[in-house]
Parts: sequence; structure tokens; C-alpha cells
Amino acid sequence: MSAVKVHFLLDDLLVQAPLGTSLQEIAEAAGADLTFGCRTGSCGTCRVRITEGLAHCSAPNAEEREFLAALKVPADQRLACQVRVNGDVAVDYIGL
Amino acid sequence: MTRTLTQLMNERVVLLDGGMGTQIFAKGPTIEDYGSKELEGCVELLNLNRKEWIQEIHQRYFEAGADAVETNTFGCTPIGLGEFGIADRAFELNVAAARLAREVADSYDEPRFVIGSVGPGTKLVTLGHTTYEAMLDSYRVQMAGLLEGGADAILIETCQDLGQIKVAVRAARGAMAQAGKRIPLWVQGTVETTGTLLVGTDITSVLHSLEQLGIDVLGLNCATGPDEMAAHLQALSEASPFAISCLPNAGLPRNEGGQVVYPLGPEAFADKVAHAAAHHGLAIVGGCCGTNPDHIRAMAPKVKNLAAPRRTPFLERSATSLYQSVALRQEPAPTIVGERTNANGSKAFRDLLAQEDWDGLVEIAKGQQKEGAHLLDVCVAYVGRDEVRDMDLYLSKLVTQVQLPLMIDSTEVPVIEKALQRAPGKCIVNSINFEDGEAKARKILDLCKTYGASIVALTIDEEGMAKTLERKLAIAERLVNLVVGEYGFAPGDLLIDPLTFTLGSGDEEFRGSAVATLDALAAIRDRWPGVNTILGVSNVSFGLTPAARHTLNALMLYHAVQHGLELAIFNASKVIPVAAIEPEDRKIIEDLLFDRRSEGYDPLKEVLARFSNRKAEAKADRRVGLPLDDRLKLDIIEGEKRQVVADVEEALAAGADPLRLINEVLLDGMKTVGERFGSGEMQLPFVLESAEAMKAAIARIEPELPKEGSAAKGRILLATVRGDVHDIGKNLVDIILSNNGFEVKNLGIKQPMDSILKAHEDWKADAIGLSGLLVKSTVIMRENLQLLEEQGFDVPVILGGAALTRAYVEQDCRKVYGGPVFYAEDAFEGLRLMQRIAAGGDISTAPTDAAAPAIQVLHRGDRAVALTTSGQSTWVRRDEPIPAPPFWGVKELSPSPEELYAFLDEFVVLRQRWGYAQGTQDDATFQAVLKDKAEPELLRWKARLQAENLVTPRARYAYLPVNADGDDLVVFDPVSPDRELKRITLPRQALGRRLSIADFFAPLSSGTRDLLALQLVTLGHEAAAHAQALYKADAYSDYYHFHGLATELTEAAAEWLHARIRRELGIHAKDAKDLRTLFSQGYQGSRYSFGYPACPDMEGNAFIQELLQGDAIGVHLTESFQMDPEYSTSALVAWHPQARYFSI
Repeated sequence: MSAVKVHFLLDDLLVQAPLGTSLQEIAEAAGADLTFGCRTGSCGTCRVRITEGLAHCSAPNAEEREFLAALKVPADQRLACQVRVNGDVAVDYIGL
Repeated sequence: MTRTLTQLMNERVVLLDGGMGTQIFAKGPTIEDYGSKELEGCVELLNLNRKEWIQEIHQRYFEAGADAVETNTFGCTPIGLGEFGIADRAFELNVAAARLAREVADSYDEPRFVIGSVGPGTKLVTLGHTTYEAMLDSYRVQMAGLLEGGADAILIETCQDLGQIKVAVRAARGAMAQAGKRIPLWVQGTVETTGTLLVGTDITSVLHSLEQLGIDVLGLNCATGPDEMAAHLQALSEASPFAISCLPNAGLPRNEGGQVVYPLGPEAFADKVAHAAAHHGLAIVGGCCGTNPDHIRAMAPKVKNLAAPRRTPFLERSATSLYQSVALRQEPAPTIVGERTNANGSKAFRDLLAQEDWDGLVEIAKGQQKEGAHLLDVCVAYVGRDEVRDMDLYLSKLVTQVQLPLMIDSTEVPVIEKALQRAPGKCIVNSINFEDGEAKARKILDLCKTYGASIVALTIDEEGMAKTLERKLAIAERLVNLVVGEYGFAPGDLLIDPLTFTLGSGDEEFRGSAVATLDALAAIRDRWPGVNTILGVSNVSFGLTPAARHTLNALMLYHAVQHGLELAIFNASKVIPVAAIEPEDRKIIEDLLFDRRSEGYDPLKEVLARFSNRKAEAKADRRVGLPLDDRLKLDIIEGEKRQVVADVEEALAAGADPLRLINEVLLDGMKTVGERFGSGEMQLPFVLESAEAMKAAIARIEPELPKEGSAAKGRILLATVRGDVHDIGKNLVDIILSNNGFEVKNLGIKQPMDSILKAHEDWKADAIGLSGLLVKSTVIMRENLQLLEEQGFDVPVILGGAALTRAYVEQDCRKVYGGPVFYAEDAFEGLRLMQRIAAGGDISTAPTDAAAPAIQVLHRGDRAVALTTSGQSTWVRRDEPIPAPPFWGVKELSPSPEELYAFLDEFVVLRQRWGYAQGTQDDATFQAVLKDKAEPELLRWKARLQAENLVTPRARYAYLPVNADGDDLVVFDPVSPDRELKRITLPRQALGRRLSIADFFAPLSSGTRDLLALQLVTLGHEAAAHAQALYKADAYSDYYHFHGLATELTEAAAEWLHARIRRELGIHAKDAKDLRTLFSQGYQGSRYSFGYPACPDMEGNAFIQELLQGDAIGVHLTESFQMDPEYSTSALVAWHPQARYFSI
């Protein structure tokens, strides 16, 4: 089973996890400085910028796309609670 | 070698001057200087009376390094000077101002430039403060004067009104044509802190509207400092084909002891502007209010060495209104043009027009907006009426009251012109054609170029309407050559309509017309990919019955979009999603569309026959011909509460076995429901309707069941654990299990283990289900399992709850209990587990091994900021001015539900709380669900809440003196400020910014008291009681919907009160205009609720509860510090600009 590496830029934290793990699980297990709110993609507290490896993130569903579109943010921003990691990524926490 | 301004701009960034007004007032002009008391304040007169002052100011700016200065002519129009009674001197004063600046400029060796400044005036033409013609004439005079005086460029600046910009640009063009001189034309808008011009237009919409007018520069000046302009400059940088200028104020002004103070000094200002210039590719910079020659002097070395920017902007073809831009190509296609604001197409509209009910006509437009139209087609052509006057009067109201851009539908040139004068955004003109040759088309295209508009063009020429593919393409080519080739429109600003003819007449000439249209759409798309296409879809079904029309329109639209159609004029509310059309209907309609006649088969005849008796919204009668069992299953799947009872009656009357009906037929329907929910095809609201249908069916069957033995497959005892009030999840489990053949005893919330055990002893359940929302409850569940183990039980236990994880249950919990322990992620997994338990067989569970730590930290940085001597994070700024509250102490409010609705997050209510998620449904189907079911449901519930007083919102909030003492927040008595009332210790981050909420308040050592706001809101016990009542009455859907809405309304109440606090403290300037941004902390400061990541310990609720006396509004705390009733929430409110959510 392959592993992925996630680099949390805010606290310079490098974490390894199994392919396909949710970004939320990785962030919480490693104690990254990334605040979660509703965990269902409705509040925007866990908004992050994927600075590397955007293509390695699972595709957003309709609700996440619409939520972020209403905030008019660029395509490299995601809600961390909705992302599964399928390859190496670098994450910058933006929050609300 | 003398360089022109344009040449200089091609080489490097150009530096303009700074503020003029303060410089003039520093000279202390008196009545003498103005000439008389009546003329006092008319600074333009100083160009003549005190020429040397103005020249000295210009000189100081040139000496400081400015390449160009602006003339002292900000209000120098006949209308502006008319306020002083000297309207007739406008030309003279403009000439004088330009000439005196010219003299100073020419005294230097290297080229210096004079920019003719044209201000916005005091009248907003879009709001009707003056007429188009009056403003045009007034500006023409000013422009002529500036040209005569020798200005190198015209700058239309500090613009607040899109309408005024267009008038001024036109005046400038006219004056230049007259003088035979063409000089650069610059435009600058003033974007307020709201993010728009004063009348409500954002900078991108301004750009779209001006794009065709051929100006040279589009930029920003005034209102805000460089930081606040960043987003708007970025937008221009990415999209604007024009050079960008930026003349900010020296920051956002502050009120310091009655004086207006601009915070940015010369160096700070210069750094920020230089950075912006490099970052956004600016061509021209300078300063506005609050800046003086020192600012320009500081800027010169930083910006004059920046090379002229090179950008590759992209501007998407759009139409704009006063308030927003709408892309001409929408995803998914088509872009919808509403057709009901049309006197030719809508009887309702015609009638209101005849009565001159302008407000009623605006309501129709608003209705179209609500139904999802992207643009509005406006036509007021009514034989016998004055179309120009009607368009003028209608648009004067429409333009400011409706968000949508307009499509001006008229054949009369004067009407089109009047409309384009009234609607300052970028409209679409409908339409041109070659019916009478090219003359009229050219006139209309000239209008589009003068005012800035896209154009719809029909494939009609001197021979008539094009019916064949060849003729349509020939005319299309002619149109493209004229509009794009000769007139230079962007291809996307040309919308070709290849015509739609009716298939309803049976006329041989038109049998193949739809095919020709569809082929033409595809051909136009392939040959001219940038050009847009548009159709008036409903024409295709003219003459047929409404039911046939809806279906044919839907399929024509569908196929047209497949063939590349981008825009369609139709009634958004009347189209059926294609997926919902019966296959047999679809076949004959498509046969008609594609003219698939054959021997003995005419699809038109079939359509007429099949649709003649059908009502427009008739449901597909799929049931006819289905066996009864299948009908019953369908009733369950489709949630047909009444139909299922009728069908059950029929089954029972025919002698069906009641037990078999339940276990084999109805439960099979529920099984399908469960499968579709699991696969994402069916959403929770529909699942609940199926459950209600099931309940209704069972209620009817129950009396027929044999008395001995129960139909129940098994028994489960449900409870929410001690200290936890959340039960929606548990109640859903109750609904699903009890409607799938299980007997459920629901003990309710806050159940200590003793009660659960006692109930189990009395009732002998086959399984116990424990649920809870809180993290604390997961620990309690484990303790409960230990208790069960100690007391020798081995009954299976199923655990559910938001904070649980499968790993925790299967590893930790299984370790402490010998009996089977399961984790259920949702009600349906709970159902599957119960089915396994009921089936017997081996269900023993063993704790799974914790997997080798799959998630490993490879490297951790150890960055942490320092703390001050008072123990606060140095990341937080200490010099923020503390706001003054309107009162000290506590205040109580009783808002109405309507006040709270303004802050309701409807997206979350529908898509998350009510579960209307898209899942695997395609866009069209999902949009139909939202529009036909979810949104009307929300409207109904909102109305019910008010009409029936289902919620009683109450709130208490306070402003209290406070200081931070290390990690503690200390609250003092407002009446005797040295007396400590209460203190609370707040947690601090160990790394990173090392934040604590306490850091956002001044430390004791500062010697000043800071300000803490507290808030508590509740929907009252009435709301909680109502939810319970609904649940007890088995009104599952109602219960679920009410609970979801009430939960979000509680959040809305918190937002509402926080907004009020910000307003009262005067920090509401940063409030976002749109709700989504507002909810994402689009405001200054932050509110912190206990239990959330910045302060996870719920015990903090006691701190707020005591200070606000929550019991006064019926709110109490449970032993685990949660608020009761459930629909309540409280928070600490910080005003500090750096306060945001963070986690410990």
C-alpha cells in the first residue's frame, strides 16, 4: 500500500499517511494547526490552499464547489474536511 | 526629444500628484480670494483669482517628482458652478486652469504633463437627479475648455455612478471630435469599503460596461487606502485591457478627537503603492486625500524605475446591470433570458403596462429573478402607446430595483437609445437583421458602440426568414463580417439567433425547421467558436396544448444545448427536467422534432392525440398496469402517504395476508429506499417521506394482524447518554428501525446508565443503542460498557454519534465489554446490524488491533512566537483603539423571526440540515428537486414559524470592562470599575502564534480597561416543545425539517446579535455585503463559543451564563454545561481586528 506525504506549511509539519486517507484525519492525528468547524463542508472554518499537489486531492462534490464558488476563491482552495489525499500535497491553512 | 504621455507610459510607470484640496485650504482662502460671499467655497475660481497659489501647488508636486499634475477643475462644470450662480463661466475657468498648469509644466526641460480633472459632480444621473441630456451638455463644456487649455489627457475621476461615467466619456469623445484633437481618456472609479461604487457597481462590472468605449485607462482613486484596493486592482489586473491607475487615500481615515486623520505617512504610503504597482501591473500611480508633496517625494524613487507593465488580461464576455455581471455563457448551459417582462409575450405584463402600474411591472421582473433567470428580456411595445416614454419610465425604476442585466427588445432605434441611456450597465440589444437591408442594423450597431452593448442578430435578410441550413449560415456569415469584421465587436458580443419555427402547425414548410435550426447551431459553433447563439425556444411549440408545449420546449432546449446553444429565452419556471419525461412521451416528441415520419406514422398526430386530454402537470401514470405488490413498493419508494393507504385497502380487500404485506412487500420497498440512500441517489428528506408512508401503511394494517405474536423482527432500546441533549440522530434511528419491522423503545436524552439498565430488565431488548453528539459522550459510552460488563450483561450494544470513530469503538470500547459491540455510522448501518442480530447466528466481536500507526509525523518545525512581559502573544497588535460601547451592563431583546431570517444560512439548511445533497443525481434533476421541492418547503416553514409562533427568540447581551491577566480574562463591575466581578482562565496554543482569546484584550499592565461583549440567544422552550410534539405525533418529515431549520435559526440569531454589537461599537464598516462571506467571518472581530476549538471546555458556558443571567430568558445549563433548551447558543465577542477562529 502506498503512502502519501502531506506538508502543513503553517507549522512546518511533514506527515506520512496511507494513500486515500482523509486530510482531516491526517491533520488531527498529527496535531496540525488547522481548525475544523462543522466537518460537513458547510462553514468554511477548515478552508485551505493546496500549494502543491492539487491534482492529488479527491475531486470536490457539488456542495463544496458551490460553497467555495460563493466565496469567489481560486481553484486551489479546498475545504480540508472534504478532501482525501491521493498523492503528495502541501497545505497552507487559510481558515475563515 | 519630447516624449508624449503615451510614449512615457509605454516605457515606465507614471507618477501623478497628490491631494489638491488640503493644499488649497492650507493657504487659508478668504471671501476676498473667492470674490464674494456667494462665491465662497468655489475653489475653481481660484484658478483666475489666485493663479499663483495653484501654480505653486503644481510646482511643489513637480519638484517632488510627479510626471503629471491634475488641473484644479474637479467641480468645474456648468451644473457644478451653477450652485454658485456662475454656470456661464465654466468654459473660461477650465481653460484658465489647464493653461496655468501648462505654463508650469512647460517650464521644465523634461516633459511634464497636464491632466484635465473631471469630477463626478453632485448629481447621480442613474437615480434621476438630472437628465442624460443635461449632464451630457454640461460635461461637453468642461471637456471643450480642458482641450482648449492644452490638457495632455482627460481624467474622469472619483466616479460614483456608472451612468455618469458613460455620459462623461461620450462628452469627452464629442469634444475631441469637435476640436479635431484626440488625447488619452482616463477613467477612475471610487470603490467604497462596501466593495462597489456608491450606486452599487463593482469594478469588474464597470470594466465590462466600458470595454467597448475605447478609453485608455481604467483605475481607482479615493475612499480607501492602498491595502483596501488590492482585491479590486487584482481584478482589473487579470481582466482589464486598459492600463490601470491607482491614486489611493493615505489609508482609511480615523476620527481622532474630532479631527480626520489619515494614518499613512509618506514612506509607508510609498512602500504600499510601489508594492501594489509591481504586484498588479499598474501603469499610473499617485495619491488622493491625505497625501501631499512628501508622499509623492517618497514615491518617486520607488515607482519611477518600474518598467511599464505587461499583462495578458482575460475578460469573459458578460452582460452587466448596475449591480452585477453575468457571464453570457453559463455553466451548465443555457444562460436563461426571462421572457415575462415582455408586452408581446405576456398578457399579465401587457395589462399592467396598460394601467401604467410600473411597480407591478417591476414585481414581474423580480419574480423572474427569483425563478432563476440570468438576464431579462424587456419589451414595452404596445400599439397606440408611446414606446420611448414607456421604456424610459419602466427602466428608471427597473434599473435600480433589479439585479439582472437587461436585454433591450425593440425594433425602434429611439427606444433602444433611450433604454441604453437609462440602463448604464452593459445591456444586450435585441435585435438586428437584414430584412430592410443594412441601414437600420448599422444605426443600431452604432448605438451599441456608443453606449456599450452586445447585439442579438436574427438570420433574416432581404429575402425573408432563413429556413434552411444553407441560408441560415449564409446570413450568419454576413452578420459576422459586419459585426465582428467591420464594426470590431468581440465575437462573444454577437449573439446569433438562427430562428425557431413552430412544429405545431403541421405545415410542410416547417416540418424540418427544428433540424435546420439545430444543425445551424452546431455549424455556427464549429465555424465561429467565439460567437454566441440564442433561441426563443417556446416558439417551437406554438399552437399546441400546454402539456405538449412544456415537453416539446424542454426537449428542444435540451437538444439545442447539445448542439451548442449558449443562451435561451424561455420561462424558467415552466420547463420540465428531461430526466422526468416519460420515455414514450419523449420518443414521439423527438420524432416530431427530428421529423421522423414514416409510412402510416406521423408523430404530430401522435402528439396531438396523447397530449390533448392531459393536464399540464399530470404525473406519469406508471401505476396503471402494474401488479398491486409493485404498486405498493412504488408508494413506499415515492413516499406516497395517502396512496399507499388506498392501495393497502385494495390489497386487504382482495384477501392479501397482512403479515406478508408488511414483511415481503412493504419492507422490500424500504429496502430499496435504504439502498438508494446508501448509493447517494436518494436524499434524507425523501427517505423520511418513505418512512412516513410506511408508518401510515402499517397503521392501516395493524388492526388486521393476528393478536398472538408480534410482527416485530427484534427489539431495540435507544437512549442518548447522560449529559447529552442531542437526539436527532437517535430519533432518525427510531424512525428507520420502527418502519423496518423492529420494535423500538426510545428512552430519550440524558439517560444515566441505571435508567437504561432498568428499562432493559423490564423489557428485554435484543440490543441497546447508545447515542450522543459530544466528545464527552464517547467517554461516557465506554464507561457505560464497563458498567454493563461489571453487572454481568452480554446484550449486544450499538454505538452512534458524531464524535465517535469506528476505530474507537472497535478497539477501545470492545476491550472493556465481553458482549458484542458495534459502530453504526448512520441509521441504515444500524438497521443492517439489527437485521444481523435478529437473524441469530454468531455475532461476537473481538477488539481489532490498533493498526501500526499509519499516520506518522516525519518532521515538525518548532516555530513559536514570543510572549510579552504580560504573558500575551506578541503576534497580537496592542495599539488598536478600543471602541466605546453605547451602554455598560446587560440588555435584553426579543427579535422577531423575520429579523433573524436575514441572517439564515439557507444553503446549510437545505443542503446539510435537510439533506438535499446532489449525490449522484445529474444537475438538471437536482436543480429541479431544489426548485420544486426544497426551496418552496423552506418558504412554507419560514412562514409557519412566524404565523404559528413556533419559536420565541430572545437574547441577552452585555458590554463589560475587562482586562487580560496572563491567560485570564478579568471582568470588572461597570458601576465600580475597580471591583473584579468574575474571571476565567482561557487556554493558550503551545506553538505557532501562541494565541489565547485573552490576548485580544488589553493587559492589566496597560492601565486602561478594555471592552468585552457577551451574547446569549435562544429560540425558547416553545421551540423545543414543538419539536418534541412533532416527533411524538410521528410527523417525521415535519420533525426533521423543523429541527434543522430551528438549529440554523439559532445560528442566525447569533449572527444577528453579533452584527448588532458590531454596529453599536462602530466596527461594522468591514461587514461583508453578501451572506456567504459574512458567515465566513466577513467582519471585524470574532465571537467565540465554548466547546469550539479556541475554547473547547464547555464549562466556560457557566461564566457567560452567570454574567448574563441566562435564566432570565429561560436558559439553563445541564450538569455537563450544555444549554437547555437545545436551540440556544452563547459567545464571548472580541472586537479586535486580528481576532479570528483558531484552535488550541
